[in-house]
Amino acid sequence: MNSVRIWYKKSGLAIYTSHLDMNRCFTRAVTRAGIPLWYTEGFNPHPYLNFLLPLPLGQTGLREPIDIRIEKDMTKEEIKEKLNGVLPGGIEIVDVTDPVGKVNEIVSSKYIIDMSFDTVGEAEGFAVCASSIMEEGVLNAEKRSKRGIKTVNLCEFVDSFEISQSENTIRMEAVLATGTEKNLNANLLVDALCSQLAADYASLSITRTEIYINNKKIFE
Amino acid sequence: MYPEKLEKFLLKVQKPGRYTGGELNSIVKPRDSVDISYAFCFPDTYEIGMSHLGMKILYSLVNARDDARCERVFAPDTDMEEIMRANDIPLYALESGEPVKDFDIIGFTMQYELSYTNVLNMLDLAGLPVKSAERTELTPIVIAGGTCVCNAEPMADFFDITLPGDGEEVTGELIDLLKEYKAKGAAKQEFLIAAAQIPGVYVPSLYEVEYNGDNTVKSVTPTNGAPAKVIKRNVSNLDAMFSPDSFVVPFIETVFDRTTVEIFRGCIRGCRFCQAGFLTRPLREKSPEVVEKQCRAICEATGYDEISLCSLSTSDYKGLYKLLGSMIPWADENKINIALPSLRVDNFPRELMEKLNSVRRSGLTFAPEAGTQRLRDVINKNITEKEVLSTSAQAFEGGWTAVKLYFMIGLPTETDEDIEGIANLAQAVVDEYYRCENKPKGKSVAVNISLASLVPKPFTPFQWEPQDRPEVLIEKQNYLLSCIKTKKVQLSRHVPWTSFLEGVFSRGDRRLGEVIYTAWKKGCHFDSWEEHLDREKWMQSFDECGIDPYFYTARRRELDEVLPWDHMDYGVTKSFLQRENKKAHAGETTPCCREKCAGCGAARLNGGVCNELSENLV
Repeated sequence: MNSVRIWYKKSGLAIYTSHLDMNRCFTRAVTRAGIPLWYTEGFNPHPYLNFLLPLPLGQTGLREPIDIRIEKDMTKEEIKEKLNGVLPGGIEIVDVTDPVGKVNEIVSSKYIIDMSFDTVGEAEGFAVCASSIMEEGVLNAEKRSKRGIKTVNLCEFVDSFEISQSENTIRMEAVLATGTEKNLNANLLVDALCSQLAADYASLSITRTEIYINNKKIFE
Repeated sequence: MYPEKLEKFLLKVQKPGRYTGGELNSIVKPRDSVDISYAFCFPDTYEIGMSHLGMKILYSLVNARDDARCERVFAPDTDMEEIMRANDIPLYALESGEPVKDFDIIGFTMQYELSYTNVLNMLDLAGLPVKSAERTELTPIVIAGGTCVCNAEPMADFFDITLPGDGEEVTGELIDLLKEYKAKGAAKQEFLIAAAQIPGVYVPSLYEVEYNGDNTVKSVTPTNGAPAKVIKRNVSNLDAMFSPDSFVVPFIETVFDRTTVEIFRGCIRGCRFCQAGFLTRPLREKSPEVVEKQCRAICEATGYDEISLCSLSTSDYKGLYKLLGSMIPWADENKINIALPSLRVDNFPRELMEKLNSVRRSGLTFAPEAGTQRLRDVINKNITEKEVLSTSAQAFEGGWTAVKLYFMIGLPTETDEDIEGIANLAQAVVDEYYRCENKPKGKSVAVNISLASLVPKPFTPFQWEPQDRPEVLIEKQNYLLSCIKTKKVQLSRHVPWTSFLEGVFSRGDRRLGEVIYTAWKKGCHFDSWEEHLDREKWMQSFDECGIDPYFYTARRRELDEVLPWDHMDYGVTKSFLQRENKKAHAGETTPCCREKCAGCGAARLNGGVCNELSENLV
């Protein structure tokens, strides 16, 4: 048995595939690719395939990790090539590595959030106001957790935040808390800003670009 | 690929994966690379439609042609429909995102009557007039196939063409003809008249229906050279028949997301309530080698870890041992589960069960259908209580602890005693479990009764029978509930109002078209979904159209009455069905085809050859 970390990009039509459905999608892809997955040895054996971080519905991910265990040795190049031959459009393997970090070391990740508005004025207003809200450091919103819904200050989940505007579009680059301990869905940040500013965007795209452990080191 | 306009709404609806397309193995062809574009419509949501084998077959079959393309279309759920209507986004096909109204053929598969309003709604969402007569151009031609078109009369106003029987051959013939007529710029009527000459093509508008004073049908007269009887299409050789070697693999979870391969069509049993069993006669088998080859190809192309071997009464398949013997080691090795969704109790050998068990355990379901032997004889479900119990005992020894039993109420000649018999039989299965010495240790047994109500259907011996009114069915359900004395037996029941509407439309005539139209206008759709079925609106619609729905359900028809579907020929003869009806009332059974030919008449569709009959004669 051999543990391997595969890194995939999820974009295009595939962003509408939920986390659960991704699991099914990858299990089948691995089967089609003829990669001998290791099966758990319980009462109902199932293939070992572990998505380290869920990517919310509708978001693009440039480099998302999955751990798999395989029965026999295969080169990393071979795994990548075989999987890319059978994956549906929008899902692509970008790398295959040895697992280095552990999932509980992940603390944050970087997002690029692009929004467009109907008018330049709206975009300008949003950029100025959002920037001052984040500087003030108070943005309260209802956040759902395992312990129920409660109001929290989202700024406590934001490590860094930059916003720029060009014509009727704005771009936010933010590092948000990520992981099992503390986590902020980028959609929630966008929704909270929009509701605070009574803004209504024309289009929205959210991309997770990097995943970090402590001290902004890239998770490997 | 969805239309661009939809993009910003996709995250606002439930399960956006239903609307995006782009699934693995979906086939995208540019419009100008083909002569005929075919939009295959399933009048229900994506998850249900994507589970349907017929769609997979015809999708692959049309796309296998160089001169045609086939794309999939499903009914958008109510949240999506609202967005589409509010933003002028017409119904589109999943592969290209192009509007459905620009396709040459719009084909619906009609699996159940309660999806009729969805057809109207989808045509309307596409921006097309729902009535056939108001669509004056040659294309799109709106066609339909599937079980319900054995009586297409209630939908006669809306469909241009229906295709009774197997679709594998006739679809290609129809595409050829349309290609020719489109190229020469023919009018729609010219095309329809020519299409009616293809065997197995029914053009409702070419038939005139007259009624008697008592509202029964007086006559159905063909015009423009259309045949007096439309004979259903029958594919004789299933091994040579087109069968897909790949399925589209959905991103989202669907009802049945697995490899499905047919092993035979038809049924030798002759249960008198079962429409599928009579509509699909004569029995035609696929050889085990071909089945296995198809299973392997689809599993390889999809990565599915489950195979469903699909047929009526699966254990009647002559090649079953051979097939399983050869497939199980391969399935084992590849961790693939084999499901046999339609097994009968009386010939379900233990050996077979153990073989299946070695892979992964599926559920165990029996369908005694009626609670007493007398009533089982009436419906010709030739299963004895002893057989149910001995098979259950075998199953318990094999480690099963849950058994599902299918029963029906509202059967002809039914009494309270028969209903009580359902509870007694379930109790007997529970008792059998506790009698069993090798039962699984420390586990309780669960017997689940799934209770349906009889909807008498065309082309069955019960097509003349009255259907119980919903109030009567509810009383019978409650009576059964009062007869169940243990929590080990659970009862799940259906809402009789859906059965009632199903009953009206399955044996309805053309006058119901106006009712369907009125109900749809009032907002009825997704009627098969309990939460959507609006009984009030339907009853108002019947009322406004001056139609008594009980005329279609509660009335006993005379054996010599002209039935609205008499001009359809499904092989089984009316005189055979009449004989079977009389035998039912006399409580006489009819042996299965393998024991003795009952003379149903369906063999003439196979050039007079019946697999069962010819072997018996040898």
